Amino acid sequence: MPKTLLTILIAALASPLAAETLTDADEITERANLASYYAGADGRSEVRMIITDGQGREQRRQFTVLRRNVEVLADQQFLVVFSQPSDVRGTVFLVDKHVDRDDDRWLYLPGLDLVKRISAGDKRTSFVGAHYFYEDVSGRPHTEDTHELIETTDEYYVVRHVPKDPQSVEFVSYTTWIDRETLLPMKIEYTNAAGDIYRRVEVAKVETIGGHPTVALSRVSDLLTGGRTDMQFRFIKYDVGIPESVFTERSLRAPPRDWLKRPSD
Amino acid sequence: MRPAVRLLLMLCLLPLAALAQDDPFADDDWGDDWSDDPEGLVFSGFAEGGLGTRFRSDPLIAARNTLEEIRVRVETEWQPDRITVSLKADLGYDGIADGGFAELRDLSLAFGGDRTDFRVGRQVQTWGTGDLVFLNDLFPKDFVSFFAGRDDEYLKAPGNAFRITHFADALNVDFVWTPVFEPDLYLTGERFSFFFPPAGQNIAPVPPLSALEPSTDFSNGEFALRLFKTVKGREFAAYAYHGFFKQPTALTSDLEPTFARLTSVGASLRQPAGPGLFNAEFSYYLSRDDRNGTDPFTPNSQLRLLAGYEWEAKPRFSVGLQYYLEWTQQHDELIANSPFPEFEPDEFRHLLTNRLTYRTPRDRYTWSLFTFFSPSDRDAYVRPQFTYRHSDAWSVVVGGNLFAGKRPQTFFGQLEDASNVYLRLRFAY
Repeated sequence: MPKTLLTILIAALASPLAAETLTDADEITERANLASYYAGADGRSEVRMIITDGQGREQRRQFTVLRRNVEVLADQQFLVVFSQPSDVRGTVFLVDKHVDRDDDRWLYLPGLDLVKRISAGDKRTSFVGAHYFYEDVSGRPHTEDTHELIETTDEYYVVRHVPKDPQSVEFVSYTTWIDRETLLPMKIEYTNAAGDIYRRVEVAKVETIGGHPTVALSRVSDLLTGGRTDMQFRFIKYDVGIPESVFTERSLRAPPRDWLKRPSD
Repeated sequence: MRPAVRLLLMLCLLPLAALAQDDPFADDDWGDDWSDDPEGLVFSGFAEGGLGTRFRSDPLIAARNTLEEIRVRVETEWQPDRITVSLKADLGYDGIADGGFAELRDLSLAFGGDRTDFRVGRQVQTWGTGDLVFLNDLFPKDFVSFFAGRDDEYLKAPGNAFRITHFADALNVDFVWTPVFEPDLYLTGERFSFFFPPAGQNIAPVPPLSALEPSTDFSNGEFALRLFKTVKGREFAAYAYHGFFKQPTALTSDLEPTFARLTSVGASLRQPAGPGLFNAEFSYYLSRDDRNGTDPFTPNSQLRLLAGYEWEAKPRFSVGLQYYLEWTQQHDELIANSPFPEFEPDEFRHLLTNRLTYRTPRDRYTWSLFTFFSPSDRDAYVRPQFTYRHSDAWSVVVGGNLFAGKRPQTFFGQLEDASNVYLRLRFAY
């Protein structure tokens, strides 16, 4: 599909001017996924996290993410280049995300000049030590759950999601508060087998960048341990034209400076 | 011992940098990291103290400790225009050598064109699919650091090289020229004793072993080539190397240890399989000075094979298994001509490895265990390691290097008296 057509399609699907009231839970979830993970044909962002454990001890992470959509609501490519803390500085993470098979993941460790392949593994485990899961960062395919619209308020579509394969996840269900205007999930609460809400993701700040409402600050809380991770996004830009060749082994040893450079405007 | 302990204590007294914050969820409470000028020079690195000691002393080595040092790492990168100049240097004091040291791990210039990257200078290089087992990776390794208890990073020694990598649609090509031969950092008898066949036992010569290195002719340089391509998650690679065996396993006519000429070719595959990753690799080592295997003072040609599988068995718990074979070619000729046939390697050296790693959810604690076991050599090498990451700045590593063997002439068997435990404390900045 030509890129321009793709861009138009995404813009149309993820249009913030969703004036009409949606009633189909599948469609709402799909459009929320588009708004959260597929804005633009590609994008770049700088990210930092403050990870606070249950005892109040803090760790920080800072990295730049480049993303390219291969196909809308399907395959994507990510390049994550770490700059903080110093023990992970220069570490590069390359992901080929697939919907029909396991993702391909590589990690470059500069100290050893080692390109390490990472086995697919569990997607619901910590991303670089944070309370965010790998799946929170790269997106959970909407086809993994069944969706039910339980309430439409003035502000939100409230959708309850139940996993099709309960064995593959740690939750029994989760509920999403999706902003009716931007279609961004503003709050997600996960319920465990005991019926308790044990995990919460909240969005504190949304900015519109290049016409796309974009999360600028979010928090995930582990309600069982009291730990949390705050994640802040800055210097976001969409549709910058990142070529496919950036998402290859070349970028692990020689990170693509032109694309990682902070945009001047 | 004394100076090292003093320095360790000093390191402990460095002020803690972490400061607690009230509520970082407010957007303006994150500190001012964003305002870092990305064009400016950023220095990072660490200060580390390390202490390692043998379970029992080696009668041939005066020092009981295997590690007794403090080091400061400085790293930076300068990017004028289209060029990247990188620097990684270690400065420190080594209590076992009783002297200061300065080591350059990286001082290189990198630049790239549309489809080609160049890197010139001192650099660490790695390729191949093995986990702590090397077939087609003939870049220098520092086994002394590895056995002594230094960070895993130091297993790979730097070399002075020119590297050109070309990325094409059909095939990527990686070429490394090391003009002056860079051997492994082998056992010299300074920190660890080693088996010496004519003596029939371990020795620790004084002064330490210093093998004769090839003269610095152009033709004595090392040439390493890798052709590679990834197709739908499958990584294919082919390799060639022209240079020397990296360990001083040959003897000159004056019976001086030296490095025999080596040419190798090989290939590897790495791909997802089931819940994990499968890798396979082979390499044929042609001993150019002993093609028919009759010269007992030059290593024989070898075929090396590797197959491995790695998967995440439980969340944050991964398991890796490898089978590795060293097949000495013309083994009959080797035995027939060797003055010490009883100490020559078996025709087939089988090696099994196992890596277990468990990380706690915040990556605060990492438990790992790496085991080498050779059923043919009847020896083993076990590397338990525990890492506690107290904060982004402070971390502690406690580990061990445990060797056992039935016979003193095997690779791990000769190191039985080197078995050690170590502790490292690191402050990263």
